Amino acid sequence: MDLNTVLEFLLKGLDTSAPIAFAALGGVFSEKSGVFNIALEGIMIVTAFAIIWGSIMFGSIWLGLAFAIILGVAMAAIHALVTVTYKVDQIVSGTALNILAFGVARFLSQNVFGQETQSAMNPYAFPSWHGISVFSLLLIPITALAWFVLYKTVFGLRLRSVGENPESADTLGINVVLMRYSGVLISGLMCGLAAAVLYPSRWVSGMTGGRGFIALAAMIFGRWDPIGAVAASMLFGFADTARINFESKIPIPSQFVQMFPYVLAIVVLAGVVGKAKGPAAGGKPYEKGED
Amino acid sequence: MPTALPLLRMEGITKIFPGVVANDHISLELMAGEILALVGENGAGKSTLMKILYGLYRPDSGEILVRGEKVRIVGPKDAIARGIGMVHQHFMLVPPFSVLENIVLGSETSTLGVLSSAKPSAEIAMLMENNNLRVELQAKVEELPVGLQQRVEILKILYRGAEILIFDEPTAVLTPQESDELFKTFRRMRDQGKGIIFISHKLDEVLDIADRITVIRRGKVIRTLLRAEATKPLIAELMVGKPVLLHVDNPRLEAGETVLKVEGLSELGPSGAPALRELGFEVRAAEIYGIAGVEGNGQSELVKAIAYRMKTSGGTVRLMGREISLLDVRERRELGIAHIPEDRHKYGLLLPYSLADNFTLGSHHKAPYVNGFGVQNRKRIAQAARALIAAFDVRTPSELTPAHALSGGNQQKVIIAREMATKPKLLLANQPTRGVDVGATEFIYKQLVEAKKGGAAVLLVSADLDEIMSLSDRIGVIFKGKIIKEFEREATTKEEVGFYMMGEGK
Amino acid sequence: MTRVNKYTLYETVAPLIGFLASMIILVVIVIIVGESPAKAADAVWKMTFSKTARVATILSTAIPLFLAGIAVAFGFRAGVFNIGVEGQYFFGGFVGAMAGIYLPLPAWLHVPSVVFFAMIGGALWALIPAILKVARGIHEVITTIMFNSIALALVNWLVNGPFSGLAGKGSLEAQTAHIRPTAAFLKLNAGFRALGWDVPDSVYLDYSLIVAMIAGFVVWFVLFRLRVGFDVRAVGTSPDVSLYAGIRVKRIQLGAFLASGALAGLVGLQEVFAIRGFYTYEIASGLGLDGIAIALIGRNSPVGVVFSSLLFAFLKQAGYGLQVYTKVPNSVIYVITGLMILIIVVTNELVSRYIRALRKKEAV
Repeated sequence: MDLNTVLEFLLKGLDTSAPIAFAALGGVFSEKSGVFNIALEGIMIVTAFAIIWGSIMFGSIWLGLAFAIILGVAMAAIHALVTVTYKVDQIVSGTALNILAFGVARFLSQNVFGQETQSAMNPYAFPSWHGISVFSLLLIPITALAWFVLYKTVFGLRLRSVGENPESADTLGINVVLMRYSGVLISGLMCGLAAAVLYPSRWVSGMTGGRGFIALAAMIFGRWDPIGAVAASMLFGFADTARINFESKIPIPSQFVQMFPYVLAIVVLAGVVGKAKGPAAGGKPYEKGED
Repeated sequence: MPTALPLLRMEGITKIFPGVVANDHISLELMAGEILALVGENGAGKSTLMKILYGLYRPDSGEILVRGEKVRIVGPKDAIARGIGMVHQHFMLVPPFSVLENIVLGSETSTLGVLSSAKPSAEIAMLMENNNLRVELQAKVEELPVGLQQRVEILKILYRGAEILIFDEPTAVLTPQESDELFKTFRRMRDQGKGIIFISHKLDEVLDIADRITVIRRGKVIRTLLRAEATKPLIAELMVGKPVLLHVDNPRLEAGETVLKVEGLSELGPSGAPALRELGFEVRAAEIYGIAGVEGNGQSELVKAIAYRMKTSGGTVRLMGREISLLDVRERRELGIAHIPEDRHKYGLLLPYSLADNFTLGSHHKAPYVNGFGVQNRKRIAQAARALIAAFDVRTPSELTPAHALSGGNQQKVIIAREMATKPKLLLANQPTRGVDVGATEFIYKQLVEAKKGGAAVLLVSADLDEIMSLSDRIGVIFKGKIIKEFEREATTKEEVGFYMMGEGK
Repeated sequence: MTRVNKYTLYETVAPLIGFLASMIILVVIVIIVGESPAKAADAVWKMTFSKTARVATILSTAIPLFLAGIAVAFGFRAGVFNIGVEGQYFFGGFVGAMAGIYLPLPAWLHVPSVVFFAMIGGALWALIPAILKVARGIHEVITTIMFNSIALALVNWLVNGPFSGLAGKGSLEAQTAHIRPTAAFLKLNAGFRALGWDVPDSVYLDYSLIVAMIAGFVVWFVLFRLRVGFDVRAVGTSPDVSLYAGIRVKRIQLGAFLASGALAGLVGLQEVFAIRGFYTYEIASGLGLDGIAIALIGRNSPVGVVFSSLLFAFLKQAGYGLQVYTKVPNSVIYVITGLMILIIVVTNELVSRYIRALRKKEAV
């Protein structure tokens, strides 16, 4: 293997990892604030559609991205409203959002592009470098930024505190609701970025292919740490890239190749969890009760 | 000397919860450089009052004045801004955070949102120096012992510049040495001109440290005493109302065979540190054995080991001679263990379920509540429930009412009725009267004595030494996971037991 | 009115509000898309209640939906969030089909056998996520979703490779061999006609309706009449209290998870044994997601699930009506469903807060 092949493999791997990684970062922010977000998949379905719709509508991929982010945050806002304000079970809300997103994307596609299952081609594209979107390269600095925000800023400290012990944060005058909304909304924003690196040239129903759920597995495997979660996403992304590279060369049925990332996720989870502990107040609504 | 303006003044504070007036026109004053003790029984309204002061509850009426100025406190933020700080009974710490992070949380120093640690570290170092409260700043709070965690709590409120410091039963979880240290800190802070409100029901401590003592009973201020005029019997009488309200007719019986025998029991606590260290004792039929001790000395691990924990790090738990520590809960219950759990909401009741279901819980898998095909016999379940409702005087509209609709005392009665109905050989009663009113307490005492008269071995675990003294035939003092001393009730005094609870006299 | 009745009444408010609100939203969407609500209503009417055949189709569509819903609901009752119903019926349906193809049995035995094997298949597919949950504490939501994708790939391979019934025939759609006639789920339409309900032969009201009714009754009986069902509900309500009361929490969770998988195995029966007569990996996909929605809307009660699966079948038909006769696409139904669940759970929360407050006041 020459250097170019290696470089190409690395870039391809990064490109494949990036959608999972951005979604996983979103998951980290949401769960660190104490809110499970299994709607990452659904939000990504909507943002993946929105980036194409927005690009064509506004005539710019950047405005398309902005539009995707806005819709992603809006979806996340519903999750925050339902789970934080109304304290509904977070898994239930996430499931409902996944159903909603499935319908919304198809509904819009039908109305905008005249077909339920795919959009028109998007003539606008992000600048690319060696065949991959610059956004995939941005994953590295954004991961560093996410780590910095979580561990080195006032916002991050407060965000983590409401995920660990909201009562304690409350007694120190920290607005638990605001912090949790922030965490959930950031996950919507991250799903917008995930859409930018997924496949911003055409939307096809089912294109997210469970990446939102793989991202949750990556987040757990990465122990709710931004760097860990992104590293775990890379494990999935690179494994997938390797699979594509070698698919034609090994005589195994393509279906087994298809199930590979999911089997890998199960193996990884079975191996790691039990030891890994998420934020202590994760999944629990905060009752400020006077009972 | 001109009359100084009080540091804090609470006027006519009233707080009504559904069905109970928690605070009834309470007024009190706190001067700078003073330690005010707030004493009263469980449920008298002390904690509610302090939560109002700290902005966690809102009063229905009344006002708060800080240095003569009327203030509106609608959240902890307002309280902190007015120089009010509170150390809660259950620590409000974020366990995986460092000490530094815990102290600055909510009052961070930052540049453009980025945390800076140099300045706060220096300030905290100074606070530690001035108050003799040293803690390693980078240590994780979850790895610290309880005493040090409390220091972090104190540093937290000092860091926010609190002048009015509230302590809600701060010694409940401390060793005597730690308590002594805490009191030294109190005196130091008082000498710096701060005002301290100290909630306790341990009268010795109160007399030791307080300048004035305010007694609260049933939501009302009964009287405020100066230290000089206060005596233990006087405070006790004011707290309880009529002197010695609870009379328990508790004759000593001929103790029978050994029912529970615990030997060499060792167990790790949740933090991984040893919680029980080769603990041993036995309880015989027709006696009540009381475990006395400061909370957190291994009581909950002991109860778990007997009631449900499967593995023990070492030692044996025998019921009627049979080793039970590898049996599951159902098998243990079959052998005759009944259990009144410490936290009735978390463990004791299926809150959304009917009383009928709750009354039979734990026996619901057996005849007559199921037939041979595993079909529940709803009629028998309802009958049993109605019988227990009548026998134990549970106040409820019907046996179909869900458990969460009942008052705390009635919920506790449901649990006790259910456990007593199993005719246990061993009754584990863990803090059986916590959070219930005097009437229910008296009732519960009677039931425990009834169980004993019926020949059961009763293991009573309580943080309330009076409860231990009035119910137990024998008393074991638990300290740091070990029974360090046993007494026959007639042969000891409350003072002597208290002495051993502090780990003295070993 | 007694107090208990009053509360029961309050508790039924949430689904009603959810339904009404989502219908209003549907009308708004119709207007936004640029259709007249009257035309849309007419389209819905045509596809749903205009003819006996349509009504019967709703009932027929409701059968697999009900089974998916009851499978999810049973898991929920034990605190198990089984999102893997989809994978479980893919695999269960395959195992059932194998029994239908290869077992030489008389019809009276063959039909129950395929039902049994489909349940075994569904339960098997739930086994690993169930063990991972109980033994290692791995959240079943993630594992079952992974298992859905794995199941899809696996059965795709099975019908393309080792069990392809069309080897060499060059069909585009991979499928297994045909099931034996003894395993076929026959239609009950003639029976309905005899009872005076004029169901045309084109509608599938077959043995799977009986399977669904039995499954629904058994689930209800187990949950609300058997001791083990009480244990299941107790574990779902509070694992701590259940442990304290001597209920074997892990065993119950494992059992409920497998039972949920077994029920899920029934979902594909109608399609395989009544409609197609062979197995393909394209059977009825998406019913797992529908099942979650149906369980949530039916509040995890067997009776509730009867109503919500009928509602869902109605919505599906309504969606086709809109698709065919108006500019409103079918997918609007998923939009409506998602919103309906959210509205119901939020309303539910508000109502139960209100009831709690009320009960506190009334408590002695």
